Amino acid sequence: MAASPQDSKDWMGARLERKEDLRLITGHGKYVADIVLPGMLHAAFVRSDYAHAKIKRIDTTEAAALPGVVAVFTGDEFKDHCKSMRQPVLLPNLPAKYPLYYALAVDKVKFHGDPVAVVIARDKYVAEDAAELVVVDYEELPVVLDPEAALKPGAVRVHDDEADNEMFSMTFTGGATLEEQNKNAAEVEKIFQSADIIVKERFRVHRTGTTPMETRGVLAEWSPSDGLTVYNTTQRPHIDRLAFADILDIPAEKVRVIAPRDMGGGFGLKAPFYRESIVIAYAARKLKRPVRWIESRYEGLMNIGQERGQVNDLEVAATKDGKLLALRNRGVADCGTGQIGVYWGFVMPFLGAVEMPNAYTWSAGDVKLKVAFTNKACLTPCRAFGHFPTRFAIERAVDMVARKCGVEPADLRRKNLVPKLPYTSVTGEYYDSGDFLKVWDSLLAKADLPAFRREQATARAAGRYLGIGFGCGVELSGVASELMVPMENQPGYGAATVRLDPRGKAFIFGGDAPGGQGHETTISQIVAATFGISPEDTVITTGDTGTTPFGSGTIGARMGSYFASAVRKACDELKEKITHVLAHDLGVRATVEEFAFTNGEVIYARDPAKRKSFREIVERIIMFPVNLPEGEVGGLESTAFFEAAKPMICFNADCCVVEVDLTNGNFKIQRWVTSEDVGNVINPMIVDGQMHGAIVQGLSNAIFEEFIYNEQGQQLTADFEHYKLATAADVPAIEITYASTPCPHTPLGTRGIGEGRPSAVSGTLCNALCDALSPFNIEITELPIRPNVLWKKLQAAGAVTK
Amino acid sequence: MELNDQIRINAPRARVFAALNDPEILRQAIPGCEELNALSPTEFTATVAAKIGPLSAKFKGSVALAEIIAPISYTLSGEGKGGPAGFAKVRASVALAEDGAATLLSYTVKADIGGKLGQLGGALVDRTAQKLAAEFFEKFNQLVAPAGEPTMVATSTAPAPTTGPPIWWIAAAAAAVAILVWYLR
Repeated sequence: MAASPQDSKDWMGARLERKEDLRLITGHGKYVADIVLPGMLHAAFVRSDYAHAKIKRIDTTEAAALPGVVAVFTGDEFKDHCKSMRQPVLLPNLPAKYPLYYALAVDKVKFHGDPVAVVIARDKYVAEDAAELVVVDYEELPVVLDPEAALKPGAVRVHDDEADNEMFSMTFTGGATLEEQNKNAAEVEKIFQSADIIVKERFRVHRTGTTPMETRGVLAEWSPSDGLTVYNTTQRPHIDRLAFADILDIPAEKVRVIAPRDMGGGFGLKAPFYRESIVIAYAARKLKRPVRWIESRYEGLMNIGQERGQVNDLEVAATKDGKLLALRNRGVADCGTGQIGVYWGFVMPFLGAVEMPNAYTWSAGDVKLKVAFTNKACLTPCRAFGHFPTRFAIERAVDMVARKCGVEPADLRRKNLVPKLPYTSVTGEYYDSGDFLKVWDSLLAKADLPAFRREQATARAAGRYLGIGFGCGVELSGVASELMVPMENQPGYGAATVRLDPRGKAFIFGGDAPGGQGHETTISQIVAATFGISPEDTVITTGDTGTTPFGSGTIGARMGSYFASAVRKACDELKEKITHVLAHDLGVRATVEEFAFTNGEVIYARDPAKRKSFREIVERIIMFPVNLPEGEVGGLESTAFFEAAKPMICFNADCCVVEVDLTNGNFKIQRWVTSEDVGNVINPMIVDGQMHGAIVQGLSNAIFEEFIYNEQGQQLTADFEHYKLATAADVPAIEITYASTPCPHTPLGTRGIGEGRPSAVSGTLCNALCDALSPFNIEITELPIRPNVLWKKLQAAGAVTK
Repeated sequence: MELNDQIRINAPRARVFAALNDPEILRQAIPGCEELNALSPTEFTATVAAKIGPLSAKFKGSVALAEIIAPISYTLSGEGKGGPAGFAKVRASVALAEDGAATLLSYTVKADIGGKLGQLGGALVDRTAQKLAAEFFEKFNQLVAPAGEPTMVATSTAPAPTTGPPIWWIAAAAAAVAILVWYLR
């Protein structure tokens, strides 16, 4: 351990090396693919080659006859023997068209990659070979791929049993009723009619998302007495458990879901409930043998990890001196088929629309969103859930306003940042706490804008084009039930059980299921600091519905806000009991505050000679529960739930410095500076890591990654040659400064961080590029942004001659 | 995918046209072609095998002809299915022009490629198709050129039919491309 504080209460905030890393980097991690059960079978899926086609016939004879094949299932099996995937536990409380679908495609395939059949065989190789022998006779149908075209009357329908492709539409003006909404919209119109400055642009963001290092994996086991056990790469095992029970019609007490402790990244992608999970669990039950499926990278890139994909027609009104007044947006999101439960491809754009106003003060807003079905893979959640496209639009638009006003964009932002929290945005989003200006000023101090402007002028005189860009982001820091219940039909609270053992060790159980964020380390630091013990004396168990309290999962930055707070609460309850017994034993009348838990001892503050080792007092309460204070019983275990009344936020601001090569449109990021409000920090190294990862992901999404479908709906980017990720060589060093405000709503003052963090990156980068190219009035309104795009813009602007 | 080219063949136009419609010549010229079957005067199927490295596989395709103006031009549409490798749908037009004693053959092929085949990338597919087309024409030229090679098949001297088997090489090229990329995936 790199850090070893003098006093064990200093574990909070210590730059402690991650407890999990030793096993992970020495090959001792245990992922789904490392779990082998006796008699285990293996699955391979047959997936559609067409984006839209009738399934005329499926011939599985040859596949079933291949030696080693145990079973081949097609869609009818699931239609006849399971419930549909459209179960209440997987439905948000939002009015939308929820298409009926089954674990495998029935009658029709609706996107390139739609699962049509599954082969179960004695090993993966036989299963893959047999899958190639399944003959599917398709009748190709016309496709609809553009979301705006999909919304037009007479468009090809993705789902025959839905009237049209308009999956979801909503208006956000901050009004609770239709009348209020209309009134607010009218107010927006009034502002636009008299505004000095109006920016009106169409902003387009491509389909891009996330590709965790570990693909999905499911291993299901059926026992006639114990029921179904599923090892699943999931961020929310407790929700999965209910979904398995409901869809397969198994009594809920007979289902246990285990998200293995080691999961190679989630990033939102492992939060939905997937069809493949049902297929594998069904096969295990039917065949009475364990069945495992490990997703190939090809399948992953075909089916999941795809987010963003949106067009926003945004108008911003401002005064001539740069005061933002109103925004009006008409967004259309491309949902794909909408066939993935919990989020259904539209919950992300929904939240993105809500988050459009960002950290700025507006007098009024009118944000409308439509989400369309298309013949593409359904959107799945990805870090910066939903608001990557809207954040790009607003951050670009703010810069355009600044340019029209002739104001420095950084100054315009500062002038319009919400000056004091709490605050409710014009779309009704609640910002609980923090200090945006403090974060902003800390960014500007680190970035040194005046020095840059001088450098820029010198460089430009020498024919070099440097630019600086700014952006910022309000991010949800764990979502309270108030928003989680309507949005996802799930609770927001955090839950944790803390169990002490007679040797003074702490066992912590959480219903979340992390994917590499370092929960074992951060939770151990909280527990160590609370009890005055070492992080080494703690063991964290997550992801197992058989042993952990109910939790909504590792989503939306819930760790630092909800899980951490629940752990602390549970520890505090145990401290209460420990000090109650200790005071009794010491013969003093004292409250918990009068005891210090430090360096393995519990010390009576008024008389430090009165003390006992943590281990002794814990052992005494668990093992020797005699002569206890009246009404007290032995044992030390506590489960606590933490809930915040309102959603909480964190805030960040970015600055990017680029240089553009006019001769070829190539650009190089010279600096990336950030300022963050992350609340009180548990482990700065882990927080730094979240920021690095998030910014790199934002850059990778903005510049490199793109899911491409051709005119026939063929998905052309199913490997890493074609779906290009940023590499270490592509990204700059990241300079981070912290300007945190402790969160007043959590017991430790911590905030959840990192989830939404990539969102401000694309706008910041493009603002810097446009600043560099300001002599040519080049504005970027579409992502991805690549040298070839800039090159065309430079040519169109006459900046270069061929 | 789109392919365009113009090939000079050392034989008179009537003879080239006849050869392009001669199943035996085509079978010999198409890389890996095993079988050509006529379902009707304008609909045909082919089986093409390819061997690349240690692997071999078969690819099945069907082709229909239209707009036949002998000995001047054709259009062709076809579909090749490589099972798990994916599929290719091909539309092509071919024109023959006299160039002294030789013939200039111009072709345009447009192909929609789907499934895994399509995902391997245009550059690879294009290169492979070009290579296979080149191999076909080299062999075809050998077979129809009047240099008096002893291997010349007898039917090549027959009068040009007004209808007949299609210009298989296009379907076969698509099929062979499919096989190749299937191996390389």
